[in-house]
Amino acid sequence: MFCLSELEDTVRVPPDLLKLPLEVAIKKVLQKLFLDKVFSLTFFLLSIGLCLFIYDIKSAEGGFVLPGDGAPTYKVVFIIVVFRPFVGEVIAARFKESDSNGLRLTLGFFEDIYVPAPLIPRPNRCEPDPCNRNQMRWVWIFEEQEYIIDDSYQINFRVENISYPPVPTERAEDAKLFAPMVITGAIDDDGLGPVSWWEGCSERNNEDDDT
Amino acid sequence: MKNIIVKANAGALTNFEVLDLLNSRGASKDTTRVIASETVSRSEYKVYDYLMETAASTQTRDSVTKFSDKCKGFKLAKAEILNIINLRPSSDVELTPILEKPDEREIDIEGILALVQELLPPLPTVEAHKENEQEETEDGEQPNMETSV
Repeated sequence: MFCLSELEDTVRVPPDLLKLPLEVAIKKVLQKLFLDKVFSLTFFLLSIGLCLFIYDIKSAEGGFVLPGDGAPTYKVVFIIVVFRPFVGEVIAARFKESDSNGLRLTLGFFEDIYVPAPLIPRPNRCEPDPCNRNQMRWVWIFEEQEYIIDDSYQINFRVENISYPPVPTERAEDAKLFAPMVITGAIDDDGLGPVSWWEGCSERNNEDDDT
Repeated sequence: MKNIIVKANAGALTNFEVLDLLNSRGASKDTTRVIASETVSRSEYKVYDYLMETAASTQTRDSVTKFSDKCKGFKLAKAEILNIINLRPSSDVELTPILEKPDEREIDIEGILALVQELLPPLPTVEAHKENEQEETEDGEQPNMETSV
């Protein structure tokens, strides 16, 4: 779910950083620009993902000081580590919250993973959560056993889709925080969902083979 | 900000490699997380915390490289090999969601699981994680031992 991306940018190094070695100064400026940002250039119909940290600086040219500016500007080619899973990838996550639309999962550093109701295994039911008045909880019913989806176990999901919604120009006061990158996940397949569902499964299969 | 994407994908990284990178920047050494904050940001620590609960935390460069090499005989896609390394499946039912259309390809599921068992270290256990949490509050020492002041 992680990869390297190579980018080129013009970087202005403020004078107070110039006492540092050039590479360190440039890295500092870049970190501020990219850290924690979901970089998406819709112009290229290509999206980078969640930028995590600078991996390396490949080259830095220039250092010219533009008229009226006190700081030198460099053309920098650099490589960053990004979080960008591929469709079909199976990822271990934790439960964050759920409502009547489905589940929301989290990786800690990334929290916009949604499993919509159709991708939760069926038959299932959605009921008010007895432990949490504001939430709904989902329960999978299989062979007369009930399997609750909650925060007790790691949940494995498969990436179905990644979208990069455009930045809204206006937002309602109480709207959810804008998520620049949203992953849609599925847990409706063998081996997916809370890992407790599948523990001991291979032993059960072996028993079936023996009978 | 006028930036250009030279290469959107300049190489995939396993979870292990990202954890290794974070460690080399000092993520593991500073349990208070204050001193290392010059090189490791809060969001990088969140990635570090996530990875420490996965198979990556017990893997070594040697085991991951060996595993990738030996996978070549199993006709798996690079993405699938990466996924297997990251998840370290230990049973049939954990492995199949990682594979694309396993029924249509003749994949040696047992062989892959045996290789995982042989080459990739087991997952960190939940108990071990809890022990680590206790240790962190005592600066890495056992709660019963004398603590240095």
